[in-house]
Amino acid sequence: MARSPAHRAGDNKARNGAQNAAQDGGETSLARFLTLAASFAAAIAAGLVFYSYGTADGPDALDVVRALLITISTWWLAWGAVQGLLGLTSRPKPPLQRHAGAIRGRTVIIVPVYNEDPQVTFARIAAMDISLAATGDPAQFHFAVLSDTRSEAIARDEKQWFARLLADRGGKGRMFYRRRAQNIGKKAGNLEDFIATSGAAYDYALILDADSLMDGGTIVEMVRRMEAVPDLGLLQTLPKIVRARSRFGRSMQFAAAFYSPIFARGLAVMQGRTGPFWGHNALVRVRAFAESCGLPVLSGPPPFGGHILSHDYVEAALLARAGWQVRLDDDLEGSYEEGPENIIDHAKRDRRWCQGNLQHTRLVGAPGLKLWSRFVFVQGIFAYIAPVFWLAFIVASILAPHFAPGPDYFPDPYWPFPVFPPDETFKAVGLAVGVFGLLILPKLLIVADAQASGRADRFGRAATSTLAELVLSSIQAPIFLMFQTRSVAQVVMRRDGGWPANNRGDGTLSLGDAWAASWWITATGAVALGMTWQWTPALLPWLLPVGLPMMVAPVIIAWSSRPQFGHLFEVPSDGNPPQIVQLHDACLARWTKPAAADAVTELTGLNV
Amino acid sequence: MMDMQHNALSFDEAAAALPHAPLAMPKQVVEIERGRLFAALLARFVARPARSEG
Repeated sequence: MARSPAHRAGDNKARNGAQNAAQDGGETSLARFLTLAASFAAAIAAGLVFYSYGTADGPDALDVVRALLITISTWWLAWGAVQGLLGLTSRPKPPLQRHAGAIRGRTVIIVPVYNEDPQVTFARIAAMDISLAATGDPAQFHFAVLSDTRSEAIARDEKQWFARLLADRGGKGRMFYRRRAQNIGKKAGNLEDFIATSGAAYDYALILDADSLMDGGTIVEMVRRMEAVPDLGLLQTLPKIVRARSRFGRSMQFAAAFYSPIFARGLAVMQGRTGPFWGHNALVRVRAFAESCGLPVLSGPPPFGGHILSHDYVEAALLARAGWQVRLDDDLEGSYEEGPENIIDHAKRDRRWCQGNLQHTRLVGAPGLKLWSRFVFVQGIFAYIAPVFWLAFIVASILAPHFAPGPDYFPDPYWPFPVFPPDETFKAVGLAVGVFGLLILPKLLIVADAQASGRADRFGRAATSTLAELVLSSIQAPIFLMFQTRSVAQVVMRRDGGWPANNRGDGTLSLGDAWAASWWITATGAVALGMTWQWTPALLPWLLPVGLPMMVAPVIIAWSSRPQFGHLFEVPSDGNPPQIVQLHDACLARWTKPAAADAVTELTGLNV
Repeated sequence: MMDMQHNALSFDEAAAALPHAPLAMPKQVVEIERGRLFAALLARFVARPARSEG
């Protein structure tokens, strides 16, 4: 294993960094302890309240099982909630170290592509190149398009549009294109192949996705921050979603812009030196990445063996294991990505992530990992198995009355009057309110905080949008629960989900498309409600919020994929699109309708 | 998707080629080998009497 770079660096910055790290370590440990303790306390309380409610008619084995299931499920909700509360109660960090002089290192901006639309993707590169040039910083930035495209037709188009990009931007000698004959190891393998071929030519690599867009000023700032901290191995930004059009996409975009910065700050408080890597919109120190992140092929067949799919979490853990610092700087703006426009595309992406995260069960015990890295693996696994626990709890609740002992109205043979079991309904209601509160309270507090600080002003009708997002996410939750449960089942049954390309098009779905993808959810919802009505009618009102959205899943999926108009889910970029987004629009327009770019040139002052 | 009439430029393979500057990326150990834990325990168990005799 490599020695800690802090030992190798040996300069004052490294020593100061180590002292700061020690100081940060105490705060980090306290934050981790408090959040974990609070989430466990909430989970245990929920389990005890449920056990008390469930055993009011006499204890049985299913009561214990249900109490256990709700304890585990509540922990996951509480963990998310306390992370939000931590973000709300934390102050933004003081200014971080940054290198103010001339940038010494050379940076490559890596754009991996896989059957993407090359015109749109390469227009993003042109936009980022213009944005970098506009900073006036003389630092060297190269672009490398690493194609894993399988379609020969798209590959031909890639070469055509790359030639156009090169000619337009005078990119010869600083813009490169390479296509692999075989996409071994998928994105991680693509990156590894680049480092093996050209890694020594660069000090830093900005890793992007095909739909990533980053402002030139942000890129320069990231390099400055990395140059200032010699043991910083990876610097992650919090990308904001742009260009969402559908109801689903815009609600996600609103959530990412309005809630995510708060949750990310909570995460940043807990990260210490072991921050996250989300696979894109992040800067890595090439030497650190090369010496620490060579991913082996896991023994055995997929889905648990083979190439590591969710490679980003693993690379973050490996960097930390080798002594490098991995950091999320939640104050960095100018980092963007696009998101899925409908529930089906979201579920497809989730299927891939589910397989990747469950594969981490093989890596939790990897030698030498930091404890927090192991916890991050467990957390990633939990994100996908938590819905299975909820579903198991619902099924167990439908079945419970069949296993419950009958009421004993005369427990004392010498007492002639009947003894009725105490009414425990208030406990069930209290528990439901508590669980629902864990879901909505952080979001409501974020609205209140945003109203108080004035941040909400940039989101139009923030309170209305939050309410609408809560309603929409509540009716979508049972659908996601079913998709995630199916994903987990497929992985456990060792069915490889493959690596389907993302659909980054319009995303509108017809009712027929939605029905084809979700009829089984409708059927499951109908059967579940039918069984409840037949066997446990008292449970029916409790199950309707889950069962009804399942029954009308195709309608919800098709409806939410339609375009969203008006001011609902407004985000700051609606009224004032970021300059880099405007530049991308202009570059794309120039390649399709040259006259349309002139307006943007006038608006941004940058010659596209 | 494409508007190739605007894009009649030819792709220059040599100009697009990545710089040749190889950097080794050694494979990391991420799995505990089967039986390694047992072997380590066994080694400790066997080694202990030898030390006490010495």
